[in-house]
Amino acid sequence: MGIRMTYQEFKEAVIRYAVENQIADYELYYTESESVSVEIFKEEVKGYSTEDSMGICFRCVVNGKAGYASTENRTEEEAKSLVLRALDNADSIESEEKAFIHEQGDTYAVLEENNAAVPSGADLTDAALALQKELYQADSRVADGTQAYMAYSGEKYALCNSNGLDLEDRVACSMCYAMPLVSDGGEMYDGFTNKRGELKDFDLKAIAEEAVEDAVSTIGAESVPSGRYTVIFSNKAMATLLGTYASVFSAEEAQKGMSLLNGKEGEKIAADIITIVDDPLYPDSVIKRTFDGEGVAAYAKNVVENGTLATLLHNLKTAAKAGVKSTGNAGRLSYASVIGVSPYTFYIQPAEKEQSEASDNAVKKTPDGLFALAGEGIYVTELMGLHAGANPVTGDFSLASKGFLITDGKKGAPVKNFTVSGNFFDLLKEVEKVGDDLDFIRGKYGSPSIMVRNLAVAGKEA
Amino acid sequence: MLSKELVKEALMRALATGADYAEVFAEHSLNKNITIISDKTDKIADAVISGVGVRIFKGTRCVSGSASSLAPEALLNCASRVADALTGAAMVQDICLKERLFGDIHPVKIVPAGVSNREKIEYVREACLAAKDYSEEISQVRGSFVEVDHNILIATSEGLFAQDRQIRSRVAVSAIASRDGENQEGGENHGARKGLELFSEFDPKEIGSRASKQAVTMLHAGYIKAGTMPVAIESGFGGVIFHEACGHSLEASSVALGQSQFAGKLGTRIANEKVTAVDDGTIPNSWGSINIDDEGTPAQKNVLIENGILKSYMVDKLNGRRMGMESTGSSRRQSYSFEPTSRMTNTYIAAGQDEDKDIITSIEYGLYAKSMGGGSVNPVTGQFNFAVREGYIIRDGRICEPVRGASLIGKGSEILMNIDMVGKNVARAQGMCGSSSGSIPTDVGQPLIRVSSIVVGGR
Repeated sequence: MGIRMTYQEFKEAVIRYAVENQIADYELYYTESESVSVEIFKEEVKGYSTEDSMGICFRCVVNGKAGYASTENRTEEEAKSLVLRALDNADSIESEEKAFIHEQGDTYAVLEENNAAVPSGADLTDAALALQKELYQADSRVADGTQAYMAYSGEKYALCNSNGLDLEDRVACSMCYAMPLVSDGGEMYDGFTNKRGELKDFDLKAIAEEAVEDAVSTIGAESVPSGRYTVIFSNKAMATLLGTYASVFSAEEAQKGMSLLNGKEGEKIAADIITIVDDPLYPDSVIKRTFDGEGVAAYAKNVVENGTLATLLHNLKTAAKAGVKSTGNAGRLSYASVIGVSPYTFYIQPAEKEQSEASDNAVKKTPDGLFALAGEGIYVTELMGLHAGANPVTGDFSLASKGFLITDGKKGAPVKNFTVSGNFFDLLKEVEKVGDDLDFIRGKYGSPSIMVRNLAVAGKEA
Repeated sequence: MLSKELVKEALMRALATGADYAEVFAEHSLNKNITIISDKTDKIADAVISGVGVRIFKGTRCVSGSASSLAPEALLNCASRVADALTGAAMVQDICLKERLFGDIHPVKIVPAGVSNREKIEYVREACLAAKDYSEEISQVRGSFVEVDHNILIATSEGLFAQDRQIRSRVAVSAIASRDGENQEGGENHGARKGLELFSEFDPKEIGSRASKQAVTMLHAGYIKAGTMPVAIESGFGGVIFHEACGHSLEASSVALGQSQFAGKLGTRIANEKVTAVDDGTIPNSWGSINIDDEGTPAQKNVLIENGILKSYMVDKLNGRRMGMESTGSSRRQSYSFEPTSRMTNTYIAAGQDEDKDIITSIEYGLYAKSMGGGSVNPVTGQFNFAVREGYIIRDGRICEPVRGASLIGKGSEILMNIDMVGKNVARAQGMCGSSSGSIPTDVGQPLIRVSSIVVGGR
């Protein structure tokens, strides 16, 4: 299938064909990644996998219309085909919104040199086996079917264009997943914890105990009577909900009538205590980025500030349509995807710790303080089936949930098999209290625990 | 795609450190996705996916690797990298690769890649215009056409050398109805393991107006009051209930590790005697169909549950080793960069004996779920959930006003027992199923069924 070229050779060939076809405005986006993962079952390595992947996307802008083509096949013939496919696709675009190739002139953040050691396959295997041992030791009811998983992934993102931009970001991190299975009274219960960062920083015992506690704490859970409850969403549950509705903050969705936040900039869309931040350089994040999918500098901003919608997230196209500057949020789900809008590390700002401890007697420590404030209610720790049960276009959600009763201001018995229903836009306005326990899911979406009154819960007959 | 000699050398390299089985999977695919917003093409994604995946087994241990290239050195490096994870002497001394041809039971008439964008755009545009024209309340319409031309090669140390070409097309329309700052959404789609002959089978106007009808109906609906009640679930995409509540728990990837509520239950009653359920990868030109699975095993029709008795799991080679079972032709992967595992193809509840009208009239107060959204399940606990896109209240045996915001939740093993009426007319619908080996096309299906009691989430 032809001789494989280096990326540099392939890039030069693509540019040659672009020039030959009189394409003045173009861009090449390149990603490459190397990853290793180990999976443990019982006391043995069940799976060991290495992945070496790369892909290239060519985008041209002709008469304001963007044409895309991508490939993993770096040969001379493919370089030619890539340019012709993109040109043909640009010719088929009818949308009147103008697309752009970004100019030079932005100031880009400089990432600190990543000096973290790259773990070897043997290091990962040892750590995964040790984690599995900790899982079994954490509780006598931990059963076979329990799995520990360790992975390391290093990624490179590069973008160059016909305006002379030439950018590159590198990110790398280790990941660890603890997935215990607990057997009790003929029933099985599963738990889950995951961490990202440097392998040497993983506290395997603590991770194992947290994961096993997640499973054990649900033993004996029953449904709850249907009705209206005060609900406290745990930090991770709320982060899950925020991640599901992140697209409502996209100017692209808004301009296309898919988000009810269209035209709401400057308006109150949430309670005063809600501030939502989008930060590509969030200090604790393992995925820091300096530029977006079009090469625009990435920077931190408040999307919602004290309840007011400060800005939607923009790429160059949506910004031009709205007459504003891009917020540097051009997103590409993968190198092969068309450009959309996506957030970076995206989180609801937590309440300040000192303040909540000093000024409010009832609030001791999140989430205990919230339990005391709620008195009676439900503490929801997990939401399921979000791709089906939560709709970003309408804001409606009706989600299968797991958690605990809140009784006499304290965490009570575990509960499961019930749904919590509402509307995300209403919920943002009705948040009564925000905790101080910010945590993240998938290293991307974050929230503290939050409290909302009067949510509809469906479970057993009341 | 790759020569037999090269593949053999890669297999031998992969086996050099003591593996008892090796497999090369190579792929060259073309994927195109055209999006139309309102009535204008907005974006076109156009991707070539090409690379190799190598796996070796030693007993039940698996080592795998992948690389984004079909170049000989990339394949050989990948094979060496995989072998490096084991230490031992070679157990397999020679391989004789024999090309195996499988008849194509899913013939394609019009290869999408050979047709201009224009033709595809015009078809979707017609659907979008019909959606827009349906009502003044339709505020936005999004249409898409997806084509996949997936070429795969599978070779194993057992001597298999097989290739297949999987062509799929799918058209989808989503409509939004708006009123007083409220949005509701409706959708309709059709897909098949076919080329553009799909266009001649469905009237695009019908696809568009159905999507809009659903959106407008839901815009004028109130929220359902939560509770536990009987539910009649319509045929077609209603089959997602079986897919989630039961199908995933019958995949060997859960069963072999003891992570399924149905592990160890073969031959026992796990469902109401009215329930017979099938996973069939051989249905001609169906969206979830295959000629061979991604380990090279021919597609099969697997009866999973017969009159309530668990008859079979869906098994891949690696998990089959743990379970002492043969592959059922169920191993699937999104692409070379995913490790394959047991997955569904076209899964449905088979036709029963009940009349549709009897199912509705049997319900004094309950929900008629006319159109389902997606769902999910935890195979360990069997807890599942799914969303009702278009629902109606049933009162005194009659379908009454539409209701929005309903979701159904429960435990797989319980709902299977509660399916106590099964209609006669099976219909199937298309979905994309996401799991550990990636996102793959699957059909779900069933006739109209009654679930005697289930928790319905609402306001």
